[in-house]
Amino acid sequence: MRLKRLLGGLVVLGVVGAIGFWVATMPRGLPAATLAALPAGDAARGETVFWVGGCSSCHATPGAKGDARLALGGGRRLVTEFGTFVPPNISPDRDHGIGGWSAADFANAMLRGVDPAGRHLYPAFPYASYTRMKLEDVADLWAYLRTLPPVAATPGPSELRFPYAVRRGVGLWKLAFLRDGPAVSLAGADPVVLRGQYLAEGPGHCGECHTPRNLAGAMDTGRWLAGAPNPEGRGRVPNITPGGKVKDWSIEDLVYFFQTGFDPGFDAVAGSMVEVQESLAMLDDADLQAIAAYLHAVPAIAGAPQP
Amino acid sequence: MRNVPIALGALALLATAAFAADDPIAARQALMDNNGAATAVAGGILKDQIAYSPAVAKAVITSWNATAAVVGGYFPEGSADAKRSHAAPKIWEDMAGFQAALAKFQDAAFAAAKASGKDGPADKAAFAKLAQPVMQTCKGCHQDYRLEN
Repeated sequence: MRLKRLLGGLVVLGVVGAIGFWVATMPRGLPAATLAALPAGDAARGETVFWVGGCSSCHATPGAKGDARLALGGGRRLVTEFGTFVPPNISPDRDHGIGGWSAADFANAMLRGVDPAGRHLYPAFPYASYTRMKLEDVADLWAYLRTLPPVAATPGPSELRFPYAVRRGVGLWKLAFLRDGPAVSLAGADPVVLRGQYLAEGPGHCGECHTPRNLAGAMDTGRWLAGAPNPEGRGRVPNITPGGKVKDWSIEDLVYFFQTGFDPGFDAVAGSMVEVQESLAMLDDADLQAIAAYLHAVPAIAGAPQP
Repeated sequence: MRNVPIALGALALLATAAFAADDPIAARQALMDNNGAATAVAGGILKDQIAYSPAVAKAVITSWNATAAVVGGYFPEGSADAKRSHAAPKIWEDMAGFQAALAKFQDAAFAAAKASGKDGPADKAAFAKLAQPVMQTCKGCHQDYRLEN
């Protein structure tokens, strides 16, 4: 009798737990009121957002230069400890890309990491940064993406290891880590620094590679931009706080690096930063100076990236 | 006694050769440091921070050309030392691709050296025309064949 009751209790607890998990990890898009307020979007302004975000680095054909960077057919392979991520086709092709999406679908993907089918996207797509973006910038970027050439090809699927292959797990990750506030507190900083903070922490998603991650793969804001192991497994991504590799770089040095790829010692940019730099080089001086001013303002953390 | 400087010079050369053969990582890093220093002078000229001099410009170009001609010889199999070197393992996975990327630097540097003449490029504009194609090849190789940090 007693055993039966105990077992019954356990079953009830298990069911309650399962329902709790199910509800807590449900993919949630933006509130209807927010989506209703989505502005029309301006493609010309969206081009700036596109280059800040460096969308081509992952979504264009690997090694693409010049205008080939605007053909966003996907197909790169990001080999990480969680498995291999294959960034999808985000060109306006209706069958292979996101041509069938609405602006609201795009906003949900960018700001909440939810796809139009209501599934969680993996945070290899850096919505943990994009969630800080202004709604109007997302609308502008959407308007710009609509102007790019459709690519009629579907890259292969991502291949994730267990347990990461279970998408519902991403819901827990979001509950624990997805925050749209600033990564570091620079309250009271001048407007140029704050503009740089927005660009770097939001659309620019610098922290995704330059900030070390905890065991669950979330960025450690206590060591913001202090350098990290390369997420693709080889080498280290440098510390870009004023305590790291760039500590003697002036604002002009940083801007020159973004524009040309040459550091103050005229060493040339390397690895995956090459594509990032070539996207940044498309921005105007004011935005590059803002990002540089922000890098001067973030808390200095000493030392090389931790292994 | 007059032969002392020559003997010392020969010794230094021998020492260099031995150093390069024993330690290809140190050798290629010294070459690339030299390359970076030459590029810094080129950058200073292009940014109007260093006054233009045809002889200095020629030295920059000749330095690039020398590095381009020999540096590829200092990446023997098994010299990807993660502690000391930022050379990407891809060099040895795709040696043909690495050599092709390096060849772009060699071609641009050789063309620039050939065009600089006896006295070097006459003015900054002439130098820029020769130097920029060389400087544009750096990233092409670093993107795939050197690690970020």
